[in-house]
Amino acid sequence: MVEVFAAIFERPNFLTFVVIFLWGFYIMVTRYNLVKKLVGMYLVQTSVIFFLVSISAKKGATVPILLSPTASVQAIDYVNPLPHVMTLTAIVVGVATLGVALALCSAIYRTYGSLDEEEILKKLE
Amino acid sequence: MSRHLPALLFLVPLFAAISMPIVCLRHRAWSRSIALSVLCSMVVFSIMNLVNIFQHGEIHYAFSGWPPPLGIEWVADGLASVVLVALSLLGLVTLIFAGPTSPKDLGGRIVHYYTLILLLISALTGIVFAGDLFNLFVFLEVAALASYALVGVAGGKALMAAFRYLILGTLGASLYLLGVSYFYAETGTLNMADMAEQLPHLLTSKAVLGGLLFMFIGLGIKMALVPFHAWLPDAYTHAPDSVTPILAALVTKVALLGWVRIMFWVLGIKVAVDDTPVLLLVGLLGSLAAVIGAVLALTQQDLKRMFAYGGISHIGIILIGVSQGNQTGFVGGVFYLLNDAVMQASLFFIAGVAISLYGVYTIEDVGRIAKQSPLLTSALVIAAMGMIGLPPTGGFFGKWYIILGALEANNYVAVGAVLLSTMLTLAYFVRIFERVFRHAPTLSDARPIEIPIQIKLSVGFTSMAIIVLGLLSDPIVGLLIDHTLPPGL
Repeated sequence: MVEVFAAIFERPNFLTFVVIFLWGFYIMVTRYNLVKKLVGMYLVQTSVIFFLVSISAKKGATVPILLSPTASVQAIDYVNPLPHVMTLTAIVVGVATLGVALALCSAIYRTYGSLDEEEILKKLE
Repeated sequence: MSRHLPALLFLVPLFAAISMPIVCLRHRAWSRSIALSVLCSMVVFSIMNLVNIFQHGEIHYAFSGWPPPLGIEWVADGLASVVLVALSLLGLVTLIFAGPTSPKDLGGRIVHYYTLILLLISALTGIVFAGDLFNLFVFLEVAALASYALVGVAGGKALMAAFRYLILGTLGASLYLLGVSYFYAETGTLNMADMAEQLPHLLTSKAVLGGLLFMFIGLGIKMALVPFHAWLPDAYTHAPDSVTPILAALVTKVALLGWVRIMFWVLGIKVAVDDTPVLLLVGLLGSLAAVIGAVLALTQQDLKRMFAYGGISHIGIILIGVSQGNQTGFVGGVFYLLNDAVMQASLFFIAGVAISLYGVYTIEDVGRIAKQSPLLTSALVIAAMGMIGLPPTGGFFGKWYIILGALEANNYVAVGAVLLSTMLTLAYFVRIFERVFRHAPTLSDARPIEIPIQIKLSVGFTSMAIIVLGLLSDPIVGLLIDHTLPPGL
């Protein structure tokens, strides 16, 4: 049992990811307000982005720009840029999703005069 | 020229979609002709691409000249090209269908509709061609965003359905991205071909199996596999009639194609969890989906909702086919995917006409169509024959090859699931036919309604296609065996 916990705390980034992901998922499932659901959804997306960034972290390395044009390139000196590029794209995708979601929310509010899921479902019947 | 066809097939609808809101700011009526001409050119390009691929083998397209694995690669192989022809043809037919129904149906948002349809089709093209796991994620999300907006475009009851679809779809996309990052952490590459070379040494790694699980759940939500199907019936029932056919025919099937790509082209069929092959588990889930979807369809009253559950059950049948791990099953699954796309489009065309022209929403009222329109009734009969799987239609041959594949793999659970779901499909169509053929005429039946020529064309085309796919099943399956099989099967 102790080893399991020790293994978890050796990788605090994994633990943080799991906590943020489940927290977001919990908000999405339990809240009735649509905007709160969106906050949960955004937390889930952000947790995955956090995970991507954290696995690319490297101690003692620098930004992926050549230190000198003549010296031979040592991969160990530089951070891997690809996860960051993926993160950037994932952030853009997340923002676009949030935009569509907020547009839907405002349309729902204009139609039903409420953002509470239970009230809207009552009006739908 | 023919080498650039895959990129052209994606860029033409994309640029048309981006420029449409600006071009059509003043002249809203132009949007329809622009969209139709884009789809016509896509049909021509996709057939040229198919012929080219079948003659000269697959094309690996590296964007802006960066060779893979560093650059982004697109793979135009036989499977992608075949699906693309179906995609562009069904897109064109849906647009033809949308002509007379859309103005009333969409509340005047014509330009929004055509822009989103073109965006959806370009993104689906991207999913079909993507040779890179992250690229696949981006196109999945673009296609999903376009579908959320299309479901909600007319407002009303559909808004809440679109919101739920968005919440679940985003959860699926996040899980898929998580799976991709597991794979990336393990192999250090995102290119599918490059990853396929590295993975055989890593198949016992927990990161790979965990990533595979997350990817499967993510794509399972997108393809509405049974435990994750909650978003689909509401979204398809409340979406505008000119939107549902394209969603039902293409979006879930292309997500399934993404899964097939990852399973067979990246991982290979040998991947296993503690000696249990993953394919067997996927096949079991497919069997569950095939039966549960059909049972749920049997209990529905609403016409569109019943067809939506029918679609869920057929996703399961396709999964059963591709997961048998032999050539017969795989080709049967791919052939059934093409058939199912056509049948779903046909069913939702019929449901759309029934709602918009005859005001028929539930199975109780279906009898009204029978008296007024023999054309629509015969189209319904043909689509039903395809869904049940009666001999002259493509649905029969698809199921036939899937069952043969399952027998070859000694997987009797799968055979039983396909047969049981066929029986249940028969049961729910019998409920419809009971109404159609045993309807006592009432006063409202006297008023004849003229069906617009565009609707006759699109319904006629899909009904023809269901039968032609059946009649030509031998040569088509032969071509599929020659050109679409994954490596190592």
